[in-house]
Amino acid sequence: MIEYHPYDARIDGMTNINQCNIVRIEEGLQDADTFRFAFITDTQRWYDETEDVVAAINQRTDIDFVIHGGDLTDFGATKEFLWQRDILNGLKVPYVCLIGNHDCLGTGEEVFKKVFGNPNFSFTAGDVHFVCLNTNALEYDYSEPVPNFYFMHHELDSFPIKAKRSLFAMHTKPGDEQFNNNVSDVFQYTLHSFPTPLCCIYGHGHKLAADNLFGDGLMYYQCSNIKDRIYMVFTINKEGYEYETVSF
Amino acid sequence: MNMKRLVFNILILACGILPCPAHTFEWTLEKPDTLIGKYEKRIYNYHKRWHNLIPTHTVLQYAGSVGAVSIGAGWDYGKRNQWETTMMFGYLPKYNSDKSKITFTLKQNYTPWSLPLKRNQLTVEPLTCGMFFNTIFSDEFWVEEPERYPKGYYKFSTRIRTHLFIGQRLTHHFKGKNKRHKSITAYYELNTCDFYLVSLFTNPDYLNLTDILHIGFGIKFQIF
Repeated sequence: MIEYHPYDARIDGMTNINQCNIVRIEEGLQDADTFRFAFITDTQRWYDETEDVVAAINQRTDIDFVIHGGDLTDFGATKEFLWQRDILNGLKVPYVCLIGNHDCLGTGEEVFKKVFGNPNFSFTAGDVHFVCLNTNALEYDYSEPVPNFYFMHHELDSFPIKAKRSLFAMHTKPGDEQFNNNVSDVFQYTLHSFPTPLCCIYGHGHKLAADNLFGDGLMYYQCSNIKDRIYMVFTINKEGYEYETVSF
Repeated sequence: MNMKRLVFNILILACGILPCPAHTFEWTLEKPDTLIGKYEKRIYNYHKRWHNLIPTHTVLQYAGSVGAVSIGAGWDYGKRNQWETTMMFGYLPKYNSDKSKITFTLKQNYTPWSLPLKRNQLTVEPLTCGMFFNTIFSDEFWVEEPERYPKGYYKFSTRIRTHLFIGQRLTHHFKGKNKRHKSITAYYELNTCDFYLVSLFTNPDYLNLTDILHIGFGIKFQIF
């Protein structure tokens, strides 16, 4: 009942969600050669639909973890983050959240960092290293490097020994108005320097899309916003990956 | 107090016929008996206009979505002083953000009824309602999005929030020449802001009214 301001950044309850869940993902899937994750994105101010997708994913037993592609909030307000966190905490499987452009508004980025963690992060499931990148360059206006090549090179240098392949998640794709398009070629080049890049997943556009964006075979998959009541499922096996879209 | 009389008073006040009972002394700018020249008239009117701008009350508030603690001043007007306009500055500690912030609030209050209790020393205002606008002083927020964005990229302002509120109040009226204030009012208010309200309607299953209502407590000092 007590609120000092919609952007007061007062947080009660669970924080550092991504790191806590990454431990669960990595422990659960360290020797897996086949696993499956769900991809949801752009759940801002669609709490009912977010609750429904959590229920839909909980009904399945074949999903190992969930990736949220960002835009948990519309205004970047503190309560918006906490409501989304509380709904997503209802997932039986661990989940991680990327930062979306709306999540950067006001004190949003500061709250995101506290509740979920660093906007750039990575984890390993089976032999796939997941590199999750903040690509909302327009929000940062050159105050921070976005996308962060220091982070990407650090990821390359410290690539886990047991990981053999890479998968990239981001909120906005190269070419989008949010992306720093001056470096999109360099970005793509850097992705290709990772061991066996599988594909890229992203949100932001509020519609389904599958594009060979640079014509080099590295596919970019966009998931709809949750209002469309769609989530994607990616199955990773020894041969590569398969994906499907699921309505709920 | 005679119960019948109380009920009668409540009814009369509810109809807005009786003026607020505590008006025993009105401070006004005294008009000199004779205003000789144009200049004197002009100065008198000049003083009178500024006099009207002297705030009639000050407030101290805790929480209420405009800061942890806010102070302000404002004006009471209307036949029964049922209208109030208050300006407040709020202090918002940084918590998990990078820095603390100051906010500014412009608030419009309507108090339809004022019910006397206890020999007119206490009055109850069973309903206060109104709206307020809050702006936050920080370069992280904007009214219109900065130029780097495509035009109309975000169709809202992060800096200015519009709130609606309802509340209740209890006023103690002071008597005697040596009083410091005319009256002191304790109040609480429940408010919600624009996007919470919209979210409530678009998420009938997840959100309840109690999720989007936020309480604030305050004291209003009536100077004159």
